[in-house]
Amino acid sequence: MAAEPTREWSDEQLKSDDLPKKDVIKFIQDNAAHSFLNEHKLLGNIKNVAKTAKKEQLIIAYNQLFESKRFKGTDPVEEVTEQVKAVKIEEKPKEVKTEVVDEGPPKYTKSVLKKGDKTNFPKKGDTVSCWYTGTLEDGTVFDTNIPTAARKKKQTKPLSFKVGMGRVIRGWDEGLLTMSKGETARLEIEPEWAYGKKGLPDSKIPPNAKLIFEVELVAVD
Amino acid sequence: MALEQLSDVVQRCQALPSDSYTAEDHDIFTIAGRSCIEEGNSAQVLSIVLDEKNQDMVRCMGWNLLPPLIPVLLKKEDKNLPQCLAIFNHLIQTCRPKELLIGLLEQLEQDDPDTIAESLHLLLSPLQKVLLCLGSRKPSSLGMTLSSVLDQVAKLPLPRTKEQEEDDVFSLCRCCTDLTDFVRPFVDEARQNLLTTKTHSEDIDKTTAGQDEMEDELATELLKFCMKTLSHPLLEVQLWDPDTLPVSPLRMFATEILETLRAIGESLPSLVYQPLLRRKQVPGFLEEEVRYPKESLASLAHLVFVHHLAADTFPSVFSPVFSLRCTMEHILLLLSRTEDFRIQKGLELYEKSLVRVEDGSLPADLLEIKTFLTVPQNLVKVMTICPRHDLRTRGLKVFQLSVDKFDTEAKYRFFQYMLKTSNHSGVEGYIIKNIKNQIDIALQPGNSNTWFEGVHLLPLLRKVLILPDGPETDLLQYLDRIMESLNLLRYLVIRDKVTENQTGIWTELYKIEDSFMKPLRVGINMSRAHYERELHNTMEAKKKKKAKEEESVLSVSVGDEKLPSMTSESQIQALHSALHTFDMIESVLVRIEELVQVKDDP
Repeated sequence: MAAEPTREWSDEQLKSDDLPKKDVIKFIQDNAAHSFLNEHKLLGNIKNVAKTAKKEQLIIAYNQLFESKRFKGTDPVEEVTEQVKAVKIEEKPKEVKTEVVDEGPPKYTKSVLKKGDKTNFPKKGDTVSCWYTGTLEDGTVFDTNIPTAARKKKQTKPLSFKVGMGRVIRGWDEGLLTMSKGETARLEIEPEWAYGKKGLPDSKIPPNAKLIFEVELVAVD
Repeated sequence: MALEQLSDVVQRCQALPSDSYTAEDHDIFTIAGRSCIEEGNSAQVLSIVLDEKNQDMVRCMGWNLLPPLIPVLLKKEDKNLPQCLAIFNHLIQTCRPKELLIGLLEQLEQDDPDTIAESLHLLLSPLQKVLLCLGSRKPSSLGMTLSSVLDQVAKLPLPRTKEQEEDDVFSLCRCCTDLTDFVRPFVDEARQNLLTTKTHSEDIDKTTAGQDEMEDELATELLKFCMKTLSHPLLEVQLWDPDTLPVSPLRMFATEILETLRAIGESLPSLVYQPLLRRKQVPGFLEEEVRYPKESLASLAHLVFVHHLAADTFPSVFSPVFSLRCTMEHILLLLSRTEDFRIQKGLELYEKSLVRVEDGSLPADLLEIKTFLTVPQNLVKVMTICPRHDLRTRGLKVFQLSVDKFDTEAKYRFFQYMLKTSNHSGVEGYIIKNIKNQIDIALQPGNSNTWFEGVHLLPLLRKVLILPDGPETDLLQYLDRIMESLNLLRYLVIRDKVTENQTGIWTELYKIEDSFMKPLRVGINMSRAHYERELHNTMEAKKKKKAKEEESVLSVSVGDEKLPSMTSESQIQALHSALHTFDMIESVLVRIEELVQVKDDP
């Protein structure tokens, strides 16, 4: 903190007409804490302040300043202002690494229907292939890639994708990482980790739908 | 004459083995045969062609008779039609496929739309028959045929309304239907091939050469075909939904194309999400980008996500944010050119992708992806310079929708970016209004954040509350921006109590006065003086009736438009209008000054 300012003028000098209001205002503005200036209505353009403030008021303010010692830097407000000035907002978006915030318990449950080999577990970034059937709570099947009898003629392949990369709904990403090759599991996924408030417009999945998937993990690459 | 020549050469050749026909024999047959048909002697030609003894000759040379036959078949009212049709059918049965193919393809080439459509309708079926007879040459010949056919289709005018599709005056829809029928057996074959290949992976296994290669080639040609049709005509036509147009040949055609893709083993998700997936390199004779042209994939994405074709086979497991990231590439492509239909599809695709995402959920790190910055830039162009009003309006709607989907930090950074790069006063004004809304939300209890109040707000405000060129700023050109800035400032001064100063505006105010309010005052005064002078001059000039002779030194812009040289009456009106504008700006400025004063003296 800077050294305390000293009085430039005596009372008589202050009262004198030779001392312009502007000089007094300037001194106070230069040396007083922001809140002090605010209270005494000494903020802003010197000319404007000079128009509205009377000499007597200025003298009182001047004296009060030295009595209360509310100089620049004594205000908590000023510190914040200094901090604000010091904050550098970079123009280019920074490398923001989205950290997984612990949001609480997982929003899905898994029941194993058929055990896997318990050795080949996929890691993030691995390509997994699965057969699956998705149903709503009321039993409506909204999606499946398993060939039914009628579809036998058409070539169907298991769904392949890179797991753990946010390409699929979170319930799948999290659930599949816990499965091993050959495992068939039933994943019941809360809407927050599925399609949430929006659901999947123009499909059978309504808003806030809990989804139930029966998934068989056939391959891990 | 011609008939005699034809009879002669035929008789002569009856006795010879087919490999000893001379070139002269060929020529005579061709010329004479063609003349006979053209002269109307098709009945005689028919009997020659059907004669048992002549079959070797017909097999060798018959295909040369195609050129005169086809115009007859296309004309339909010709009295020789039945005979010519009979000749034609016999030739198709008898002649060598390779040569027939050449002959038929030649006849596809037409110039006027009516003939193009008719010849396609006529020739696709025989072409199909011929191709099915080809052995190992089938895929490449099919490819060649499809390429020629599509070139012809490209010459047909496209229906632009629902009614035009129904009327199908230029037969584009019929051609598409014919085309679907044409490729069907080849698609079935490709599907069969796929079922019998050894591996199930996406890489086509090259264990056995020959047979496998041919199967691959067939799939490759069909892929080329699909990709081409996705570009034209499918990208350029408007598809109508079942509610609007229950029977739509174009929608059927699009559906069939998607089905064909599935039949040849292409996965729709892989195709539409391709921008983000690193596809395995398929060893073959096409490079990946040529194999999957970006424009075709964009068209495909639109069909899948906007028209929901093949929706029941598209997996419902992908995350909406991932889907958005992929489609941004397609959207960028669609919005980067100026054709109406592309922009419309780009906007539709963007809207559909955004609607699936929850408000305020997209994080700021998405802005590190280039398309998340370039798409808004293209959107700005649509909003500001697209000639169609409905597209400009829709563009703005989608723009706001995209803003709403960002989380708070992302909004902040996006606004910063747009203020810096849009270079358009209207857009900047719109962004500033958004900033005001965000501040308003942040000030509500429970919503506080560091972006629109607190630490980060002031740097943003400093970029808003400035005059681009100081006191010399052209106030009319920057009107939208200036008005919104003033509105924002007025809002802050009213809403944020000086004792609370949540936004920091009160501590900043003296700076704002210096950098914004005072220069604005000066600017208003200067502009007003200037325009008042011009008004005076113009009125004087008008009085002296020299207006028409004088060169107008004054150039006036009102809003964004520079007005052409006007009559002095119009000039005077424009000048008055400008002066009113300055009054308007000044009134808000004065109001702010009043409010600030009031806070200073309670």
